[in-house]
Amino acid sequence: MEKVLSTLWGVVIAIVASGVLFIGANKWFDLARKNWSWFSMVTGALISGAVAGVLAGNRNSIWQFTYEEGSSGTTAWLYVLIAIAAGAALGAVLSGTEGMTMRLAVGGGGGLVLGAFHGFFLAESSYPALQIVPLLAWPVGGAVLGYGWGMLAGKHQMRRAVDLATLGWLVGAWLVPSIGGGTRVEAIVALGLLGLGLGTRIAVTGAADYFRREEIALKSRATIFLAPAILFISVSLIIPTIRTLYLSLLDGRSVEFVGFENFVTIFTDPGIFKIDEWAFMFTEQLFIIGALLAAVGTVLAWRAAKARGNPPNPISMVLASAGAVALVIGYALNYFADPEVVEAAAGADGSAFDMLATTVVLIGFLLTVAGIVTSFITARSGGHHLDWSPSNAGALGVGVFFLFFGAFAALRGTIFNNLWWVVGVVGLATSLGLMIAVLADRSRSETIAKSLIFMPMAISFVGAGIIWRFMYIARPIQKDQTGIINTPWVWLGKISTEGGTGRVIFTIVLVVFAAALAYLAYRGLAANENGLATGSFLAMAPPVWLAWRLWEGSGIGGIVETENGFFADPIFFLQTSPFNNFWLMMVLIWIQTGFAMVIMSAAIKAVPAELIEASKVDGATEGQTFWAVTIPQIMSTIGVVVTTLIVLVMKVFDIVKVMTNGNFDTQVLANEMWQKAFTESNFGVGSAVAVVLFVSVLPVMYVNIRRMQGENA
Amino acid sequence: MALVSETDTGLGPRIHRVLGALPSWVLWIIVVLWSLPTFSLFVNSFRNQEAQRTTGFWQTQLDELTIANYREVLEPTIAGGLWDAILNSFAIAIPATVIPIAIAAFAAYAFAWIDFKGRHWLFIATVSLMAIPLQTALIPLLQMYSGGAHWTIPFFEKTITLFPDFNLAGTVTAVWLTHSGFGLPFAIFLLHNYISGLPKDVFESAFIDGADHFTSFWRLVVPLSVPVLAAFAIFQFLWTWNDYLIAITMIGANPDALPATIKIAALAGEFGIREHLLAAGAFVQAFVPIVVFFALQRFFVRGILAGSVKG
Repeated sequence: MEKVLSTLWGVVIAIVASGVLFIGANKWFDLARKNWSWFSMVTGALISGAVAGVLAGNRNSIWQFTYEEGSSGTTAWLYVLIAIAAGAALGAVLSGTEGMTMRLAVGGGGGLVLGAFHGFFLAESSYPALQIVPLLAWPVGGAVLGYGWGMLAGKHQMRRAVDLATLGWLVGAWLVPSIGGGTRVEAIVALGLLGLGLGTRIAVTGAADYFRREEIALKSRATIFLAPAILFISVSLIIPTIRTLYLSLLDGRSVEFVGFENFVTIFTDPGIFKIDEWAFMFTEQLFIIGALLAAVGTVLAWRAAKARGNPPNPISMVLASAGAVALVIGYALNYFADPEVVEAAAGADGSAFDMLATTVVLIGFLLTVAGIVTSFITARSGGHHLDWSPSNAGALGVGVFFLFFGAFAALRGTIFNNLWWVVGVVGLATSLGLMIAVLADRSRSETIAKSLIFMPMAISFVGAGIIWRFMYIARPIQKDQTGIINTPWVWLGKISTEGGTGRVIFTIVLVVFAAALAYLAYRGLAANENGLATGSFLAMAPPVWLAWRLWEGSGIGGIVETENGFFADPIFFLQTSPFNNFWLMMVLIWIQTGFAMVIMSAAIKAVPAELIEASKVDGATEGQTFWAVTIPQIMSTIGVVVTTLIVLVMKVFDIVKVMTNGNFDTQVLANEMWQKAFTESNFGVGSAVAVVLFVSVLPVMYVNIRRMQGENA
Repeated sequence: MALVSETDTGLGPRIHRVLGALPSWVLWIIVVLWSLPTFSLFVNSFRNQEAQRTTGFWQTQLDELTIANYREVLEPTIAGGLWDAILNSFAIAIPATVIPIAIAAFAAYAFAWIDFKGRHWLFIATVSLMAIPLQTALIPLLQMYSGGAHWTIPFFEKTITLFPDFNLAGTVTAVWLTHSGFGLPFAIFLLHNYISGLPKDVFESAFIDGADHFTSFWRLVVPLSVPVLAAFAIFQFLWTWNDYLIAITMIGANPDALPATIKIAALAGEFGIREHLLAAGAFVQAFVPIVVFFALQRFFVRGILAGSVKG
């Protein structure tokens, strides 16, 4: 309790202090308008007080107040108070002085005295050992330069000369000589003449007239309102970021400059960036299926354009169809390349099949890409466009999504894991969020459902990680499973191997379900609603696969056969690479889907009802309305969701740290950075990883800036 | 699908009719799936050690239920005192919520209603900082809090202290200071969106009546912006309460200052005899944000929407 109370007190004091500061600053600049001599007085007191405060309060810097051995600090307080009073007096007198000669005398003389006063109280270790040449050369040079600048600008020659001469004195008296070797007289001279320069500069400006005062009062407003925020952001964000860029070029202990060596270290570390097994992606099931979907999507887009009466150039359709055929053949070859299957069929080791399968899939993939690319080229050269509206692009989108999954299963290392996270979480959270938003829009108990799906947003990533660890529990094969996912998984495996009525009933249910979806897909295809067709077809995949494996009787996984009979074979979600990455992503998807849903739901409700009505009057079905009216209307909102999620996913840290700590090939950049910097204490490589992270969000930053400009214009 | 008329009797239309009711069903299946993880952890947090280890939560017997887990987690001597950690979480989350609100409100007002040169660009620059990952600032910030910030002036080799060493590393102060800085760009963005949308006439009549910016901010903007201030407060509170990265970086190993997230993460890292406390610990940590969430959901949703949906 005591701790909380003291913190609360601290907060209250901080708030009161900043409130007083803020209001005080406002009142201060109000004075500029209302009462000039008061304003001058306060300003003088502040300047002199600030110098005294810094000197008296700072024991670390080379410039400080003289501390007597064993002094209680009373002298320091007295010094500060006298400095404030003297500054106030000087300001007040100066504001009441007319005539340039008098002003110069008062300002310069007062500044000199005040500066000397500060010099007198300077600590011995801060006395400058003045050298005559720089002491004269710098101010004189500054004065000449300033005068020339004023001449060029055509005004204020004197002011610029004093400005730069003062600055020159600062350099010549305080930066050039060594600090600590001088005498008290030198300190008094060095600070006194600095005061002379400042005082003269203020006096030269002349008494402020009405307009000048108004200007000061007005301009100061923006500064006062913005200064705290700018200061805070600079200190905690901008300057540290710049420093990280610098640290990434130094060695681990930030001593020696090593150029880009840290970045070389990163990109040659196979744990971070590993691409030598890229060819395996072509035998990855997800990759082949993804490419197939992309090919089919291209054909569908061609067909939709044709149905509208604009037969496009058939070349992209032909290429994509050929690609699809090659991919199907490749898939079959890949299946036979499975060592068990091959041994049974041909008695070979399967490497020839493997090679062949890789080549055929590669050809199919390239044909598909060529098909998609030509669809845009032919459109450019005046031909008819393929119909890439959202409904038709759906299959292509899902295909590309699968392609990424296949590719990232072959390209390993931290960087590809991070990209995989971006694709997986952004893709699934956005599409699930959209789907739920649409479903909830038609449901009566919308609020409760939405708030339950939204709830994980309130749970910490650490807590979510723990929650999902319980979901993913896998126990040794002899024991009963206690995890929510592994229990039904093992149970299904049992049904499949044991046979009996359970298997029959379950298979029939699945087949009926799949048949219903197949009918829907057919209807969608017939009515040229490709969104419906693709969706139903994709939804068919899990029940068909499950029914087939069930019926085949060799188990769907979940059961392993040993000499002693059948045993449970749970999925070790967090340990089995590379798809353990996906099971980690699930946690973030679980959290962020609610976020996507809330935003999309609001966007869907904001679509003007007249547009929906008009589309229905024109005879569009609900599906067509959704794809052709709603989706384009909420496209910018989808963009916001996607960019927000990309930024969030790029820096995912807690989930990985808590669930696997980057083991089992699940490392991500944020955790890599943390381990390198704070576990291995290598600030160079740690900063370099942070820089990689920083650079990878720059495109998103650019998109955000463009969007904001668009909105403000 | 709703276009099916009453007289259709074929197989196709019938399937269509069944499918018409599908959205609700699918939605509720998803809701159940989505709540299942939390619900199962909640049930498990009340089960004794043996039960948690050997059976799933759906096989719960009445005699397994106990509140011993919660008692043990809160007991300072046993689990390292989650109670203390909760207090630390408050000590971090409260200042880290209040301070950015105040600072951001000033700045948002200036960006919205004070005319000055470069306003547009300064605003865009400030807000675009939202995308910067915290990781880029962590190392220098930790160095600053643990040793101050010093700058050696080039060519003259004189080092001056820009930020004195206040010995902040290992304290909650370093954590909430960091949160305050990182929260500002988003806070300014959110508050600016709202404050710049306030009706212009209100300000014009106030200025005609002789009010200056200070008065109009205090008397007009602050009272009118309570909803968006609340929205940001909830956001920032949840974010700072649930944060793990900044706390573990800035506090590190000082056991007296650790917030609840780090304590339960440490519990999760043990993989040992205290694993049965994990569920209870996670719920103790999540209790405050879940209460805040359900009580103030309206503001929270408004906050999320303010930044993303136009019109």
